[in-house]
Amino acid sequence: MVHWMLRASSALAFTKATTLFTRQPGASIFESNGLSRGISLQKLEAVAPSTRPIPLSLILMAALAVHLPLLLMELPLKSYDTNFHIFFASHYLHHWFDPWNPKWYAGFSQTTYPPLPQQWIALVSRITGLDLAYMTVQLVAILLLVVGVYRFALLWVTPRAASLAALAAVFLGSESFLVYSAGQLSTTTAAPLYLNALPYLFEWVREGKWRSFVKGAALFTAAAAAHHATLLFGSMFFAIPVLALVLIDRQDGERVSTPAFLIRTVVMTVVVAAAVAVVLLPFWIALIHYPVTQTPIPHASRANYILSPQWGLNYFVIPYGALILALPFIFVRGSAVTRLRPLLLGFWVAFLVGLGGTTPVGHLLLGRAFDVLTMERFSYWATLLALPFVGLLAAELIDRYRGRAVAVLTIAATFTCAMAVAWSTFRPADAADFKVDSVAAWLNRDGHDNYRYVTLGFGNKISRLSVLTDASSVDGEWNSGRMLPELTAHGGAALTSSKYFNKEGLDALRAILDHADRYGLKWVFVRDPYYEPLLTFGGWRRVDDLEDRTIIVWSKDGVPPAAPVNAPQIPPHWQGLMWGTLPFGSSLLAIFVVLALPERQRRRAADVEPAVMDKDLVPGRMFS
Amino acid sequence: MTGGRLLAVFLCLATVGLVVIGTLWPVPAAAAWAGGTGGFISSSSTPEGAVNNFANDLGHHAWQEAYSTLANKGKFTEQDFVRDMTGSYPGLRTYASLDNFEVRPLHASDNEAQVELRLHWSTVVGTFLDTRTLQVVKNGDHWAPVWPIVKEQHVPPQVIPVTYLRWDVIYRGPEDDWGAQDVEAPHVRIIDMHPVERAAGVVVLGELLNEDVVPAYVSVKATLLGKNGSPIATEDSFDKISHLLLPKQVTPFLITFPNVSLSDVDSIHMDPTSSLVAASADPVIEIQNQKLSPAPDAWFSGSLVNQSGQNVSIAHVLGTFYDQSGQLVWVADQYIDRALLPQTPVSFAIPVPEDLARKISTERAVVATYSPGGFQ
Repeated sequence: MVHWMLRASSALAFTKATTLFTRQPGASIFESNGLSRGISLQKLEAVAPSTRPIPLSLILMAALAVHLPLLLMELPLKSYDTNFHIFFASHYLHHWFDPWNPKWYAGFSQTTYPPLPQQWIALVSRITGLDLAYMTVQLVAILLLVVGVYRFALLWVTPRAASLAALAAVFLGSESFLVYSAGQLSTTTAAPLYLNALPYLFEWVREGKWRSFVKGAALFTAAAAAHHATLLFGSMFFAIPVLALVLIDRQDGERVSTPAFLIRTVVMTVVVAAAVAVVLLPFWIALIHYPVTQTPIPHASRANYILSPQWGLNYFVIPYGALILALPFIFVRGSAVTRLRPLLLGFWVAFLVGLGGTTPVGHLLLGRAFDVLTMERFSYWATLLALPFVGLLAAELIDRYRGRAVAVLTIAATFTCAMAVAWSTFRPADAADFKVDSVAAWLNRDGHDNYRYVTLGFGNKISRLSVLTDASSVDGEWNSGRMLPELTAHGGAALTSSKYFNKEGLDALRAILDHADRYGLKWVFVRDPYYEPLLTFGGWRRVDDLEDRTIIVWSKDGVPPAAPVNAPQIPPHWQGLMWGTLPFGSSLLAIFVVLALPERQRRRAADVEPAVMDKDLVPGRMFS
Repeated sequence: MTGGRLLAVFLCLATVGLVVIGTLWPVPAAAAWAGGTGGFISSSSTPEGAVNNFANDLGHHAWQEAYSTLANKGKFTEQDFVRDMTGSYPGLRTYASLDNFEVRPLHASDNEAQVELRLHWSTVVGTFLDTRTLQVVKNGDHWAPVWPIVKEQHVPPQVIPVTYLRWDVIYRGPEDDWGAQDVEAPHVRIIDMHPVERAAGVVVLGELLNEDVVPAYVSVKATLLGKNGSPIATEDSFDKISHLLLPKQVTPFLITFPNVSLSDVDSIHMDPTSSLVAASADPVIEIQNQKLSPAPDAWFSGSLVNQSGQNVSIAHVLGTFYDQSGQLVWVADQYIDRALLPQTPVSFAIPVPEDLARKISTERAVVATYSPGGFQ
């Protein structure tokens, strides 16, 4: 698939972007070549090192070299959300066509979250087990990101700069932050699919190629099946700049006609919207019937990073890393070059939204969604949009300073990646690492799983525990899946971490404990003595202890066994069939069309050596 | 200047401008993470501003910063100040977080002002209010609060002999299911119960007696039944009861049914449960100076004295109020925010609804306690 994608990408590069931004040695790196035409081409040829792009196979090997060991060490298991995805996957593993999961919130529907990465984990886990399956899917997402960044960057910059952008993607701080610290598998899976779809959108709208239309539509749909928000917001940050580029760019000296542009854009939008509507139909039904009206839950990514510098470090410095140093170049070069301006504006808006509450932009643009979404994904998208600029900057620095530039860039990239990877150790999701196997074993014996349970002080280990036990909990980590009124009325997230949400979290905990009989909630596993007074005064008693008395089991007398919740949210069987078939099928279809519909017409063009073409073109010519 | 450079300058200036706006006037979500500040610049040029800054520091548990802003810090040490805020022994204050605060100016002159600071602390068992009236004095071009320090009393070292009853239970064994006690549950009986309608819904009040000669761990559940006999709602007493009853002890209980009207209720099914537990009569908490302030602004107040030699982390006072005929009128409660140190009185004050306070003739208090690793 990568091979065919690249063949198309190289062809694309040949027709529009090869030498647009080759800077002339001696000029400031902030200036485009169009602004300094007086320097001769001979000088360029005399001092310029090789302008060949780095072979993508090498970049993919670099990605493997960096990320494969980290994933084999199962480093993401320490992140915030990895176990959450594994928990979802474990449900698909056992109940592929039944999205109703009784293990959290006394029952919730997994149709509230697009399923593609988790379903792939479930499938792969039949061979590798759940943990390794997660790592496998994450690795594929990282490799696809490299390809996607390369192909996306080719729309804007030379193949050489695009290859450097792809190499930068391997070391991207925000990617490592999301993979190893946040554990956002869905976001990091959807973005590469989306990036790979964008060049097809470009080709379709500009040239009307049906093959591109089919491939683009399939990839967009698969991206939505992985993460709906990426498609919704990606269209704003990624697709609109690409469409603007179609309008700006010329092909053989001519722009695409406005009617053709409009019709093709509308056709793609309508078809993709229809496909996403069908593929994720149970999701939309759940969203319409049960909109997310619960009390907003605080998230530090919405903080002002100046007033709360600790969160600025977490959500800005670490994800951006050395890319912060490139910001002046991005603004100056992005403004100077007309065809880069849409990309700059897309980056700028994503950048501002990604700053959370540091600016009012996120709050103004997103409205209520600002209090529901987390902002680190916007920084991730901003860094992806910045990568073509980074590739351009790196190419020019290397052209000018050669070995020294390579050394400095290598150090900067390594430092950025290393910091983001190490961040999960500096700021671990859970301060204490402990096993929950004994808790699962306790719940699974002597009929204890006839009752529901809740944990206190377990952090995100509750997902791991839920994978291991058959018992049902009233807690969970998927806030949008919560339907219990005791939880939705309060702005606290997981009950196990109630105290970190102060009054809101503790009120939710108190409400759910108060209604223990209603939910068959008989067991509370306490790993944090902070909660003991509430249990004591609320009528709970210690009945056992585990893990060298570090986990105390509390119980309440007279609680009836848990009854299945006959909630109206339970999806009907046909929705389960759709959910088990269409999202996964969309990814199979995307793979099929990308493999089965090669770019035959461009094969010859793709074989042309781009580096040679660079020298044949007059710098600045394309800026007219 | 070219169009490109203009665009770059515009974007940079806009970015900086937006950051400045977001910092000076943060959106609510950002302000909450910054400790509820109104922005980056907070001024001590007014008495309210100075107290606001001070309260923000308290909210961040930045004791050192808060202490450094005080005008009277020379009169007590930082350690005294921290003890005043968190308690010298672990209690509710120790792990409380500041939910919000209110600053209310009382009066002001050119060089001195009086401000009421109401600190709403959040704890695991609920919120408590700490109200302090602060003098604020002008010191050059800024104002500084004078903290009314409350120093905890400490009793001299001594030996306190304790002779208390204690009940132990031999359970079947670790391999057996803990729930099967193989003994009859202690006999408990509801000796009084009646529903009242309040703004929040129907409230069921009552008292429960342990008739047995062994301690009982009790709970009370109530189900409201409608006119057609079908259940309307089931709730339990949760923490509005003293769950541990020694032989012949009585506890009040209160069960709230939110959003239910008494007119819809035909009958109430009460379901008290009890189980045998190991227990001890220690610690003994004496209630002194118990009194009811009349309406309006009715309070049930007094002080608790820990008669034992062990510290008690958290005490929960349940007040029971009766009318002239001895009929139960109301049950109210309060958690004590400071630990009960041996022989050291700690005051309590429980608000009583004004309309009910006029009916109250007598009152009674029971105290439940919690200490880490305490008797279970």
